[in-house]
Amino acid sequence: MFRSYLTVALRNLVKHKLYSAINIIGLAVGLAACILILLFVRHELTYDRFFSKADRIAQVTIYATLPGRSTDHASAAMLPFAAAFKQDHPEVEAAARLVRQRSIVQQGDVQFFEDMLLADTDFLRIFDFPFVAGTRETALDDPSGVVLTETLARKYFQSTDVLGRTLSVDNNKSVHVTGVMKDLPGNTQFKIDILLPVNSVSGRNLQAQEQNWGAICCWTYVQLKPGTDLAALNAGLDAWMKKTAPTFNSPTGPIVLGDIFRPELRPLTSVHTQPLLSDMRPGTSLAEIYTFSAVALLVLAIASINFMNLATARATQRAREVSVRKVVGASRGQIVMQFIGESVLLTLVGLVLALALVELVLPGYAAFLGKPLTFDYSDPSLLGLLLALAVLVGVAGGAYPAFFLSGFNPARVLKGASSGVGGGSGRLRTALVVVQFAISIGLMVATAVVHGQLLFAQTKDLGYDRENLLVLDGIGRREIRDRQGAFLDALRADPHVAAAAETDLVPGDGNENNTNVRLPGGDPSQMIILRNDSVGFDYVRTMGLRLVAGRDFDRNRGGDRMVTPDWLRNGEQRPAGSDRVTLTGAALLNVAGVQRLGFATAEAAIGQVFEAGGGDGTSLRLTIVGVVDDFHYRSIHEEIAPSYFFVSDAPSDSAVVRIKAGQVREALADIDRLWREMYPDMPIQRQFLDERLQDLYAREQKTSQMFAAFSGLAIIIACLGLFGLASFTAARRTKEIGLRKVLGAGVPDIVRLLVWQFSKPVLLANLIAWPLAWWGLEHWLRSFAYRIDLDPVLFVGAGAAALGIAWLTVGLHAARVAQARPVTALRYE
Amino acid sequence: MLKLVNLVKAYRTEEVETTALNGVNIHVQTGEFVAVMGPSGCGKSSLLNIVGMLDTPTSGEYWFNGEEVSRYGERKLADIRKKNIGFIFQSFNLIDELTVFENVELALLYHDIPARERKARVKEALEKVKISHREGHLPQQLSGGQQQRVAIARAVVARPRMLLADEPTGNLDSANGDEVMHMLTGLNAEGTTIVMVTHSMPHAQYARRIINLFDGQVVAENLRAA
Repeated sequence: MFRSYLTVALRNLVKHKLYSAINIIGLAVGLAACILILLFVRHELTYDRFFSKADRIAQVTIYATLPGRSTDHASAAMLPFAAAFKQDHPEVEAAARLVRQRSIVQQGDVQFFEDMLLADTDFLRIFDFPFVAGTRETALDDPSGVVLTETLARKYFQSTDVLGRTLSVDNNKSVHVTGVMKDLPGNTQFKIDILLPVNSVSGRNLQAQEQNWGAICCWTYVQLKPGTDLAALNAGLDAWMKKTAPTFNSPTGPIVLGDIFRPELRPLTSVHTQPLLSDMRPGTSLAEIYTFSAVALLVLAIASINFMNLATARATQRAREVSVRKVVGASRGQIVMQFIGESVLLTLVGLVLALALVELVLPGYAAFLGKPLTFDYSDPSLLGLLLALAVLVGVAGGAYPAFFLSGFNPARVLKGASSGVGGGSGRLRTALVVVQFAISIGLMVATAVVHGQLLFAQTKDLGYDRENLLVLDGIGRREIRDRQGAFLDALRADPHVAAAAETDLVPGDGNENNTNVRLPGGDPSQMIILRNDSVGFDYVRTMGLRLVAGRDFDRNRGGDRMVTPDWLRNGEQRPAGSDRVTLTGAALLNVAGVQRLGFATAEAAIGQVFEAGGGDGTSLRLTIVGVVDDFHYRSIHEEIAPSYFFVSDAPSDSAVVRIKAGQVREALADIDRLWREMYPDMPIQRQFLDERLQDLYAREQKTSQMFAAFSGLAIIIACLGLFGLASFTAARRTKEIGLRKVLGAGVPDIVRLLVWQFSKPVLLANLIAWPLAWWGLEHWLRSFAYRIDLDPVLFVGAGAAALGIAWLTVGLHAARVAQARPVTALRYE
Repeated sequence: MLKLVNLVKAYRTEEVETTALNGVNIHVQTGEFVAVMGPSGCGKSSLLNIVGMLDTPTSGEYWFNGEEVSRYGERKLADIRKKNIGFIFQSFNLIDELTVFENVELALLYHDIPARERKARVKEALEKVKISHREGHLPQQLSGGQQQRVAIARAVVARPRMLLADEPTGNLDSANGDEVMHMLTGLNAEGTTIVMVTHSMPHAQYARRIINLFDGQVVAENLRAA
């Protein structure tokens, strides 16, 4: 019996080539899309699960709510947190911190800037990274030790057998290799090239920060005892923080850190799927994972609907077979099984083709996502999953046609007419086409909106001119900073450079400095926290900020520049016994800062003086000389914080350089040459600001492109189905079309007839897709502090595009049918 | 073999109710050859569908082999049908995708018969209708008469006790029609009960009894002298 089914199924496949091709190609493309998304989702859900203690490691995250600002949630903590937390919580077995440090690493003539991580010794006891040389557990015990990844070992030594070899780090301090770890797999949140012990001879001096509960500057991980209830532990953290974090008495009033910061532990395995500020690598939110899974299912649904529609549309042609089978004794169940079997067979053929497609596309797809995605044929769980998926699709797609076809009344069918086929299925087919196009239109709108928001983010007036703006990093290093001023003066004199200015913070970086400020007579218990940035005189001009009131900083006014004591300028601690100093200077506020300080207008702020807490017990008295318009220094997901800017004689960490339009090549050549002349032993760190800003939206960009690709596929598959359906409808209505032509209808009339028949479901689909898409996208856009509005034009446009594509698909076919001689059509029956 | 008592079949479409069979009483003995005649729309096909258990009556009784089957569900009817009844149609109703051999074999596939026996029985049936030489051909490659012979082979291969033929010669020329009638007579002589609906008086003459239907009622029954 099975053989008879298979025979009929295969001969049907071959006989109805168009039908088979539409179904198999549609299913193959749908399944391939589904597999690609599945591989991505699976990969995203495996992050950091390879650590043997993954289930009892947690990361410390901090919710920071600065007064007057919305809450930030960051995956970093304060330096003293780890030790204090461990001491007070017996369920913590170990805690370890990671601090980033950018250093120049040298070996012989080879010299590079590297992002290194300073790690507590327990870090490698908590995380069992595989080592190829050295002993993991003790690799960080030696303050002059360093742990490299294989790639870094090869980069500097052309070998991984390098235990004991030495590297020089910043200022010729030398460290020796105590361990070489395997390169990190793709599915980890960690980005590690070089690990140094936290007390390394060439590490940053963290001493000054070790008791600073106000600076969020390190990643912190804790290893909990087995069976620890994370939720219960988290429940007590708020109270513990309030008790433990000190109140910081700034010169301008107390800062109650326990009120600002709220810690929360999150399981290591959910770090990747819960992206936060200051993550080591960009994560993928569960919402994104769910969205893509949904897209995969939708694409597959469209392909399955094709199958259902074409199968029922073709029912007339199979009606006789079904009836004969029934007459000779087949039960309804047997007929149902036959058709479901056929559908599963078709899906399996589609699956094979889909795997070929996946093979073809996977390398490019993996590269695009920047993830090491592979299809492992030896993985039984993956193969099982796919097989189950194919069977599921086959059964889902085949069930309705099977029940529909098996329900034929053989008496009427076999009487010779096709009248045994009810018209009810036509309505269901239409409904299914509506669903397909609703999905397609929804995806199209989503693609357009996601893309539009991204474009908005990338081209929005950020409040400054992002073109031709070069950022120089690392100029606050000891080796450079003494001649920083001279170097920048030389830059300013360059004919290709329009302006240049020092700054401690660069737009797009996650860092910010915040301090408590107070107006004369203000209530000291009321915290007014402003973001602040120490900049150069030409900052406003270099950045292209808009001055809305007052004046810019002025080199020629002695009082504008804050003069700092030597120890502060050198980044040292205040000498014991010396007096608390008050420093004076000028400040520019941004508009948000004007509002936060309670001035009615920008003009009202001019000439006012405020006090701010400086580092290490200094206090600043700043006179507001001007107000600049708000500008975005972070991603536009974030609101613009109230801020002030001041000029100080202390060297800055970075500089921004405005290059004259059209002279980029010449300017870069000059800048590199100047740098080499001044700092022959130092590599230059420079990057255009707009490149850096791209990274802020990298995730959204990928999302947008993936959306575009998969919604394109969805539309193609839906149109494929529509084409098939149109061709069957045309065949079914051949006689009618012939008659119409005999009665005088022209080709355009016939084309209009068929095209209109297929336009209705597409138009109806809009009514379903629009509100759903509107709801979903409005929700998504709310995650941006600054966003586009949903434009009805996008919705209408997507609907029109779908209609246009449908017309094209059906119209070509209709024209061909309409041109046939009517006599052929009439002879048909 | 079968007995119809006061059989009524009404079709209902939205507002109109059509009575196809209106109190039909027919008794067919085992081994009989009965022809049903009457003008178009007299209820011949409705009658055949109910007798063949492809449809159920609106009211009345249908006794088949001593069993009242008129209220049986589809599954049970399918089972009785499978074991007892073979069908021959005016339009042959062969499956285009299957060869002659496979079309005939189809009737055995739902009977749990081992492949070897199936093959033997299909060959035997094909020989009986003299079409063995074309067993590998597809239906479109055959003439109408040949196709109907295949359909007869398919109808008899499962050795049904009763054969229902719905205008079996309607689509055939007279030579082919006569040949089909000879075959049916032969089958009847071997003991198969046959109920045949036909428009053709000459072909109805092959039957031993002719039932005339008019407007859903039996108007005459003529027993032909053997």
